[in-house]
Amino acid sequence: MNKRSILLFVTIIVGLSVSLFAQDGAGANKETPWLEGVTIGPHPEELSPVLPLKIYLENGEAIPATLTEDVSVTLVADTAIFDPEPPSEYNGTEIPSPKWTRNAAVSWFFIDWEKNKNVAASSSQQLAVNQMVVTPLNPTGKGAITCHIGRKMRYTSPETGKNKGTFANSSVAQDVRVLDITPPTCGLEVSVQGGRSGTFWVAENPPHKYPLPKLADVYFSGALVKEADPAEIITVQGLELGANMVVAPETAAVYVPADAVLNIKVNGEDNYKLDTAKLKYGICKIASGEPIPISPLNAAEVALAELTLPENPYLYVDATDVAGNRQVLFVPLIVK
Amino acid sequence: MKFSNRFWLIVAVMFVCTSVWPVLGQTDAAATTEETPEIPGSVDMSLGVKDTTYVMPENFRGKETGEGDQQWLEDVGYLMQENSDLYNVDAAAIAESANFEGEPNINWEVKKEDADGNMNTESSDNTNKATNDSNIKDPGYYQVHNGGARQVSTSGGAEGEAIGDSGSDSGSESGGAASGEETASAGNEGDASGAAGGDAQTVTAQQRIGIEVHDCTAPDMWVAFQEGAGTVNMAETEEALKAQMVGKIIENMGKPFSTDAKAFEEASYIFLEEGEDSDRDSIPWEKTARLSIAGTLFNERGAPKFESGKLSSKIDQNDYTNHVNVIGGEGKSLKGVYVRRNVPFIIAAISTDNGNKRATAGEVEVKIEDADGKVVEKEGEGYLFRVPNYPRSEYKDQPDYFFTTSAVDKDGNLTTIRMPLYVVNTQAAFEGGRNQ
Repeated sequence: MNKRSILLFVTIIVGLSVSLFAQDGAGANKETPWLEGVTIGPHPEELSPVLPLKIYLENGEAIPATLTEDVSVTLVADTAIFDPEPPSEYNGTEIPSPKWTRNAAVSWFFIDWEKNKNVAASSSQQLAVNQMVVTPLNPTGKGAITCHIGRKMRYTSPETGKNKGTFANSSVAQDVRVLDITPPTCGLEVSVQGGRSGTFWVAENPPHKYPLPKLADVYFSGALVKEADPAEIITVQGLELGANMVVAPETAAVYVPADAVLNIKVNGEDNYKLDTAKLKYGICKIASGEPIPISPLNAAEVALAELTLPENPYLYVDATDVAGNRQVLFVPLIVK
Repeated sequence: MKFSNRFWLIVAVMFVCTSVWPVLGQTDAAATTEETPEIPGSVDMSLGVKDTTYVMPENFRGKETGEGDQQWLEDVGYLMQENSDLYNVDAAAIAESANFEGEPNINWEVKKEDADGNMNTESSDNTNKATNDSNIKDPGYYQVHNGGARQVSTSGGAEGEAIGDSGSDSGSESGGAASGEETASAGNEGDASGAAGGDAQTVTAQQRIGIEVHDCTAPDMWVAFQEGAGTVNMAETEEALKAQMVGKIIENMGKPFSTDAKAFEEASYIFLEEGEDSDRDSIPWEKTARLSIAGTLFNERGAPKFESGKLSSKIDQNDYTNHVNVIGGEGKSLKGVYVRRNVPFIIAAISTDNGNKRATAGEVEVKIEDADGKVVEKEGEGYLFRVPNYPRSEYKDQPDYFFTTSAVDKDGNLTTIRMPLYVVNTQAAFEGGRNQ
């Protein structure tokens, strides 16, 4: 083998290596888009102690792994950052003449990992600096309460003998789930030949009410609700959001001709996840508070002439979320 | 063996070695996963300004060195960046054989220190990006905080569970803390909870930077001239007028309390302030000021008016303080102030500063002086001129008078006004449109 072959071989190896490294670098950028534009390393260049932190309930008990939506918990942060003096040693390095120079700054967040969004916690109550009231407002199967605390400190630099400022940091997370206690808020849209329609939908009001029961308003609009003014929105207020939401006929109803063919669409809504397999809607009568279907389940088209209607028929939607919260809404169907 | 054969044998051995070592390494790593690796509750983080062009030196405006705080200018955007082992491609730096579950959660927060030393949240942005533009609009001591979190598991990772269908009561499960003890434990000192196999645990990181944001805006100033004659209900004392102005200047954030000339029949005002909200956020070297004059005393005819105009501000290239300087006179937008002979008047000047978001106002010294700088004294509680000096061509023997005032904030930003003060002959100036 001559020298030229060896040189060629080395060139190929070096070229392959360079190209592999280059691919690694590009891959890292593609895989870590959040680091775009970042030019600093992952560790602070100067001394910046990270101190242990524990968070727990104000009564000293552990934070439950499962919280309940809309139910507040008061939490306490416990860390040496609140001590009278900063640490004089960190990871085996002496910190000479340490002094706090500012008050601690505390931040609490609730992260919903399913959406990768956080909400900063804030309280209007007068609380100690190491306390916070956290109210999870939305259910999640994967969440975390995080607490971040930093405090400015000063120490004497061993190298220069001069004062130096830095931050002591503490942070921690408690992984939690948040239980869904709010029933679905489903409604229906009904239309007949000729384009006339009627819609009703549900909104929790007041939102995030606790203790239970949850309350909701039901809104109606359309020509099948009020022919004289289809744009008017009729509100039936203060129904208990749950499995027995019966709208009184004197407050609102859907009016249809006896020979109408109803086109029915469901508006499925839940504050977390609707169990679509359990979703039922159509025309029913009520027996012992439960809907007894008169029309085929979940039929998109219902010919009234083909049904044997009871004395008081209702449009209904029966929805359950994955947590098992159930909503059954009955709206009077007046056949003219 | 020929040389070429020997060469290829060496190459083959090299390839075998390079192929086997990583596999051996992986085997070792896999072996350790059988022991539950410890996942720390938190890791450290770096945080800094990416482009330091407009970061001022540590001793800027006499600041003590060695504090580690950054010296920023108000209204200048600074690109912050941060980094942590939480943002890597793999979680090897967090714990042996650990894996990340999903992307990190990144939050940028700005806190401002109040008078009691408490740090209060000014803004909180969940960007999920490790860079962020921070533009702080008001002077003061701030901390920019970055909080990061990411789910880490030791193997596989847990899928999101539907919630509420387990029928579990609060506290009945260990959840993601994965420690067996339900209290979150953290720090990097070994009490890490250690995720059970497959359970993802949230690991956090945080860092803060102390930032002194320096005031680069000249103070707002209001000057009121109030005569004590005719139908005007003169304030009993100068103090009463000042008290009235303090309330109005704070209530209106320095802006004129009215643009209707009729609102200035009792007193005439000079308003000198930063202007509209969009102008108030100008970068320090493009700052402007708005001069408004309102009332009857700013023209020789005594006609009521309200006029506004924009002035440029002059920045000091060394300490980035701004100076708004109003010089009145012939040919200027503010010709001067015209007072009547034999009519006593008072002057009050009040200033407010953006240093505390214009939450307080303070009195400013005013002077009337002649061309030589000799101060004209008050007569009683007000000023009174018995001899006219306007028009100047007719009263050349009478001295020139000037009204001067200045307001300076604690950082040295300065607002100054100097304009001629003319004493006109009473009847002609205000009723006849000409002087007797």
